[in-house]
Amino acid sequence: MSDWAIEATNLVKRFPKRASANEEKPSTGGSAAPKRRWNPFGPRPPKTLFTAVDGVSLTIERGEIFGLLGPNGAGKSTTIRMLCTLLEPTSGTAKVNGYDIIKQANDVRRSLGTLLAGERSIYWKLTGRENLEYFAALYHIPPVYIRKRVTELLERMELTERANELVEKYSTGMKQRVAIAKALLARPPILLLDEPTLGLDPQAARHLREMISQLKNEGHTILLTTHYMEEADQLSDRIGIIDQGKIIALDTPDALKQRINQKEIVKLEVAGWREEFAATLRALPEVDNIIARRPGEADLWEVTLQAGNSRAVLPGIVEGISHNGTRLVNLNIVRPSLEDVFINLTGKALRD
Amino acid sequence: MMTTSYHSSHSLGRSNLRAELRALRAVARREWTIFIRYPSWVFALFLWPMIFPMMYIFTGRALSGPDGSGLAIFTSASGATDFIGYIAVGTTVWMWQNVVLWDVGFALRSEQMRGTLESNWLSPTWRFSYLLGHSGPQLISMALFILVSVIEFGLIFGVRLHGNPLLMLLVVLVSVPSIYGLGFAFASLVITAKEAHTFVFLVRGLVMIFCGITFPISLLPGWMQSVAMWMPQTYMIRAARAAALSNASLGELLPDLAALLGFGVFWMTAGYLLFHWMERRARQTGAIGQY
Repeated sequence: MSDWAIEATNLVKRFPKRASANEEKPSTGGSAAPKRRWNPFGPRPPKTLFTAVDGVSLTIERGEIFGLLGPNGAGKSTTIRMLCTLLEPTSGTAKVNGYDIIKQANDVRRSLGTLLAGERSIYWKLTGRENLEYFAALYHIPPVYIRKRVTELLERMELTERANELVEKYSTGMKQRVAIAKALLARPPILLLDEPTLGLDPQAARHLREMISQLKNEGHTILLTTHYMEEADQLSDRIGIIDQGKIIALDTPDALKQRINQKEIVKLEVAGWREEFAATLRALPEVDNIIARRPGEADLWEVTLQAGNSRAVLPGIVEGISHNGTRLVNLNIVRPSLEDVFINLTGKALRD
Repeated sequence: MMTTSYHSSHSLGRSNLRAELRALRAVARREWTIFIRYPSWVFALFLWPMIFPMMYIFTGRALSGPDGSGLAIFTSASGATDFIGYIAVGTTVWMWQNVVLWDVGFALRSEQMRGTLESNWLSPTWRFSYLLGHSGPQLISMALFILVSVIEFGLIFGVRLHGNPLLMLLVVLVSVPSIYGLGFAFASLVITAKEAHTFVFLVRGLVMIFCGITFPISLLPGWMQSVAMWMPQTYMIRAARAAALSNASLGELLPDLAALLGFGVFWMTAGYLLFHWMERRARQTGAIGQY
């Protein structure tokens, strides 16, 4: 048996993609190219290859929570789908619980509890109990254990009272708990959780994070994908930051943040932010990675920047943005978060 | 909250043949439970057997003239004296194939759209079990459908079956592999194409025209008769009519039953191979998780 729970070596996944007719000949002028009329008898645009995962290598120790952090479309889910045998890598290899994901796919499936697609991964026209009994049979759990195991998990997920109701009557959080119970049914040594808290209200998400920590304490190895940096920070022993299919940093959360510790993170709230202010601020000494976003409808922007010495540049910042009615509403100098690490590495925010 | 200390590298699951059979039974039970939780099946069961054939029965009555004299021509061409029974058998076989194309053909696609296909696929169960298990309840509902059809045709149109019930059952059983094999092949193509309406309409249209669901295929042009001989539904309809309406013996049915078994082996093999091809292709393209 391998020492590693998961061991991936240079995993690559490419998907064929047919270019749209308009992509075929890019416009050379400044104006947008006119849309070509669809012609069923005309030549089809050529197929190209889209690289979703580009040489991912990682090792995950037994009993560890490993967070794969990255924005949407970074390659997190594709990586997890390869590890759980739903997808075949274009090249590269991986072992899960010591089993090869191609040659020993069934052994891999037996070793894994996987949460993909959350609440949609269970049957809404079955009760919570029926769902678990059904999946217990699929995971080849001997009948003598099924009833006990299902009861145990319903209790653990605090679903006992509503176990015999149809899942369609459950809240999103309850459905997610059934999906997690499903992943735990066979007591798999390794859990793959793909965006487990996506769509949950804050309280349900907090509950779930507590449960994930508890599962680690019980000895499970957990590979968690998320685009919530706080979640990755709070739960993970180690984090792999993934962007455009590549792991661009891999370390403990503290070590990752340590990398940019010589920088200070300045967070501003600005009313009436304008694009040209970014260039003004960037001209200040040791200021870079400026990210501005408007979280709501109001013209109130959150601006984050990284500075070598915030005290030295603060007057310049205030002066740089105080023009034509623009107002600095709030200013904080904060400790670097994982998001700042991501910004430092890629120059863009996780939610971009 | 209960906690369980856990340090093993092995799961609770124990895969063997019995576990696979239990999984197959679980798929069938799940499908049946979901099926009966949509109450519309009751209407489908009692109304459908009547609605579709009525169109042909009343057309036949209109064409036979007020005194029914036109029926003599039909009888001389088809050899059948009970034209309603003749139509009832043909349309029932057609509806069986039609429902299987929709139901079994869309089995995996429905799971894919619901989002549950991946979670099934993630288990160590033999994947063909999902189609086989889905077909079990479908077969039961179709048996009920055929039973209700026989009762309703008897009560409303006075159709009487003269044949040996065991031979009728034998014709139905021998037809199963062809009908469901075609359904399995469809299910695999639908996952790949993500659309099946065009194909279902095409196949059921071909069956309607070539296999003689309401008329003897001897009326078709020669080339169409040749095409009909390559379609298992032609043999199903002919054998079912002979068994149910003409009291044919086993010896008389044997050529059609042998042809049906041959088609059954072909379509079951084609269904399985297509499923295997689809499964492999889906692993390469990620088609299982796409909707």
